[in-house]
Amino acid sequence: MKAGSLGRYIAQRLLLAIPMVFILLTLLFLLLNAAPGDPVTATLGGRLPPEEIAQRKEALGLNDPLYVQYFNYMGNALTGDFGNPVTDPRSVVQIVLDTAPATIELALAAMLVAILLGITVGALSGRLRDTPFDVGGRLFGILIYAAPVFWTGLLAQLYFSVELGWLPSQQRAGGFDAPEPITGFYVFDSIITGDMAALGTVLSHLVLPAVTLGLLLGGVFIRLVRVNMLQTLRSDYVEAARARGLREHVVLFRHAFKTALIPIITIMGLQFAMLIGNAVLTEHTFTWPGLAQALVGFIGARDYAAVQGIVTFIALVIVGVSLLIDIFTGLVDPRVRY
Amino acid sequence: MTSTSTGGDNAVLEARTPLKTRLHHVWRPFRESSRISRGLIFSGLGLIAAFLLLAFLGPLVYPYDGTQYRAETSPGEFTAFPELAPPSAEHWFGTTKDQFDVLARIIDGATLAFAVMALAVSIAMIIGVTLGLFSGYRGGRLDRIMVTAMDAVYAFPPLVLAIIVSFVLAAYLSPGVPSAAAAVGLVYIPQYFRVVRNHTLSVKEEPFVEAAKSFGARNRTVLGRYVFFNVVQTVPVILTLNAADAILVLASLGFLGYGVQPPTPEWGYDISQAVNDVAAGIWWTALWPGLAIVLLVMALTLVGEGLNDVINPLLRARGKAGRKIKAMPAARRRGRSRRTSDAAEQDDEGLAAKVRDLRVGYRTASGPLWAVDGVSFEIKKGETVALVGESGCGKSSMGRAMLRLMPPGGVVHGQVEIGGTDVVTAPDSEVRKLRGEGVSLMFQEPMTRLNPLERVSDHFVEMIRTHKPKTSREDARAMARDALVQVGIPPTRIDNYPHEFSGGMRQRVMLALSIVLTPRLIVADEPTTALDVIVESQILSLLERLRVEENVGILFITHNLGVVAEACDRVAVMYAGKIVEMGPVDEIFTNPKHPYTRGLVASTISLNTTELRSIGGYPPNLIDPPRGCRFAARCPHVMDHCTQSPPELTEVGPDQRAACFLYPGAGQPVPEGVVAPSGDPQVSGI
Repeated sequence: MKAGSLGRYIAQRLLLAIPMVFILLTLLFLLLNAAPGDPVTATLGGRLPPEEIAQRKEALGLNDPLYVQYFNYMGNALTGDFGNPVTDPRSVVQIVLDTAPATIELALAAMLVAILLGITVGALSGRLRDTPFDVGGRLFGILIYAAPVFWTGLLAQLYFSVELGWLPSQQRAGGFDAPEPITGFYVFDSIITGDMAALGTVLSHLVLPAVTLGLLLGGVFIRLVRVNMLQTLRSDYVEAARARGLREHVVLFRHAFKTALIPIITIMGLQFAMLIGNAVLTEHTFTWPGLAQALVGFIGARDYAAVQGIVTFIALVIVGVSLLIDIFTGLVDPRVRY
Repeated sequence: MTSTSTGGDNAVLEARTPLKTRLHHVWRPFRESSRISRGLIFSGLGLIAAFLLLAFLGPLVYPYDGTQYRAETSPGEFTAFPELAPPSAEHWFGTTKDQFDVLARIIDGATLAFAVMALAVSIAMIIGVTLGLFSGYRGGRLDRIMVTAMDAVYAFPPLVLAIIVSFVLAAYLSPGVPSAAAAVGLVYIPQYFRVVRNHTLSVKEEPFVEAAKSFGARNRTVLGRYVFFNVVQTVPVILTLNAADAILVLASLGFLGYGVQPPTPEWGYDISQAVNDVAAGIWWTALWPGLAIVLLVMALTLVGEGLNDVINPLLRARGKAGRKIKAMPAARRRGRSRRTSDAAEQDDEGLAAKVRDLRVGYRTASGPLWAVDGVSFEIKKGETVALVGESGCGKSSMGRAMLRLMPPGGVVHGQVEIGGTDVVTAPDSEVRKLRGEGVSLMFQEPMTRLNPLERVSDHFVEMIRTHKPKTSREDARAMARDALVQVGIPPTRIDNYPHEFSGGMRQRVMLALSIVLTPRLIVADEPTTALDVIVESQILSLLERLRVEENVGILFITHNLGVVAEACDRVAVMYAGKIVEMGPVDEIFTNPKHPYTRGLVASTISLNTTELRSIGGYPPNLIDPPRGCRFAARCPHVMDHCTQSPPELTEVGPDQRAACFLYPGAGQPVPEGVVAPSGDPQVSGI
């Protein structure tokens, strides 16, 4: 393929992702096997007779030498087998399929809030640098970053659910309120089944956690967008665009903002890790039945076969997201394709 | 986070300067930073101090302990605290369901937070710096593996990593400050690793380290000093922001139940205990610990952000955007631009531009600076006027002022008339129309002047259709192709991206953009500086052709007298914001009058140069310019009255003028106290 073509660029990125996956999985394996003992004893020790524990260990391959376990783990992970929990009859893959839609729905809704907030306030702050609007935007960014998401969530519950009684504070829509599950994405499911009553319930449950998480991410985005706007607004080609007599809004959006978006998107990709961390907290605060909540549950049960499986899945998603971001940057910015 | 690839030589130089000077280097950007940045840092430091007092004096002063549920009312007699009591005189922040005093728990939580934070950040820094030094110094495959591993750790969700680490650690250590700090701290190792490793790697390849090796010098010392002095600039920011983040991660671990051993007071754990209270409408158990987290994290973030602003010069404030507009009287801006009288207009018909008493000023940290201070000249159509002078004499400021293209904090006073419009006073919309259509600006650095994301054709179409909205896309492309052909670029390349052109070609694209709408005037600001000699002469002959064929006026800004001799009709010599001599190019070269011009010409190499001379000394400080002639301090012919009052431009030959007391008519020395001060860009009107 010729240099600079998108296909070649994507192939390069894919090749670069391989060592990343390899090292990340190795680190996780080492870390999780640094704990003494084995998952079966840790989880079920004392509750089952020793013979049964030994039998289970044998079945899970835990009596093999560590390097054999390592190769099995790597091989399985790369073929999409994340193992089986000790405390749950479902496979990790099944657990992911069951719980991930709730997490993704929450994350997408939060991203929507964050992007709307971050881009408008951030871009304006950059343009109106050092004005009261800018200072206000920056302070809001710092304040919202400083507030733990579980605390803002609790305060939101206290006010909007307990005090005003407007919105439910816990759980996703459940029981008869929930739409007929088709994809597991409740908003989507209620729309395709045309169940407007369910949509209302689903959204009312989604609002508080999504806004709580979205505000936090939005605070980060505000700072990010602002700094990058400031940089591109000072760039040579923005001055040159002004010198050509272009209208100010064209200079701002087409020349300054569009270029500023590239680092913004790259860093937003890095913030994906932060999104996951905060999704864990948000799900816990709102007892949102997502993947993160499941992970926390398995950690509580000391089921590290399950923990290892879910964390491995998360690691692969992270590499996948960073790959997507790279590809996106390649699409927007012709320079990086070289 | 500031990325840190400073030039090696520079950094080494810095590493060798004494500490006092270095402190000054640290202090200076701080002083020059915006008031807001400084305000942020100071309010953050104040809050941190308050928390330190709370954490270390609080336990001594406050009567209760965080895990105390009863008080001794009289010797041997205890009264239990009430359960979930709202804030009162007895318990200022109320009590919890476990009958603990909330304020006491906040205080103890602060002590714990500081302990974990300090330990976590130290762990991260020590491990990260050590690994970074090692990896960068060793290099090779090990280095590549370490970098990928660190990237992997960095990409992983910090909180999930901290949970896993504390989960594994729990098998070895009972929960407490050390285990929490380890779980929290490991997350930050990659950041220190990266900074230190990059610096180590970059210095290792420096020639002087190689040289030091060959002399048997201890290059490790050199390396250590270099890395240390560079890292010192970045690490405070990382450290502060990590400390802020550490508080959050600790609280999150506590909230999820993986922090310290309950019921040790810890803000996050306390909030998790308040979850059920919230459902019952009880606010004080959740509010206060959260507020403590917010304030401490905010304080640390404010300091980190402020430091980052100060250290990262790119973001340092130079002035407020849009202030220049406010500095102008509103009434004049709204009204029509100043038009010259009909008679004068007829006179000006042959002029590409007329500049009268132009002053360009900037607000700086040390006071207002007039980069251009009262300059007048004309450029006829079809004439190339060179504007020459040393760097910093105001040439470029003047070029920008011709389009009123000022950076934030800049002001333009005086008059710049182009095609009947006064650029200085015209409303924004009129100036905007003039830019690109009536007057074009060619920049010094062609590499960075085109938008990297837009095709060359987009630049043209966008510009043409802004000025001539009725032009169809296809017509605009045709115009663009014509302009490209004129500058010698194959029209087939119209849809290429800027990075697909060389520097010389990009400058020709810029030139094509400048001429596509046939302006009256092209301001060329050192357009060939960055180019090699062959491309330079191509650009010059293109400009020459435009001047002859299109009758365009050209203001050619340069410090290269060779180019002037080749390409220009008249020369204006600028020194410290003023024109000191102006005349036909032949006269200026063969018969320069002003001592500065003579110095300039003498310092140029030509075929019959026998002796190359340079002008001693430096240009004056324009924030506080000398009262008399600005060249007086460097002038070989300086007389007493040269330092008393500024000389005026005066006729010294046919069409040649100079501002020097050596020639009669330059003005009489004015007695002390009568000289008009330069004024302040902030207060004077236009």
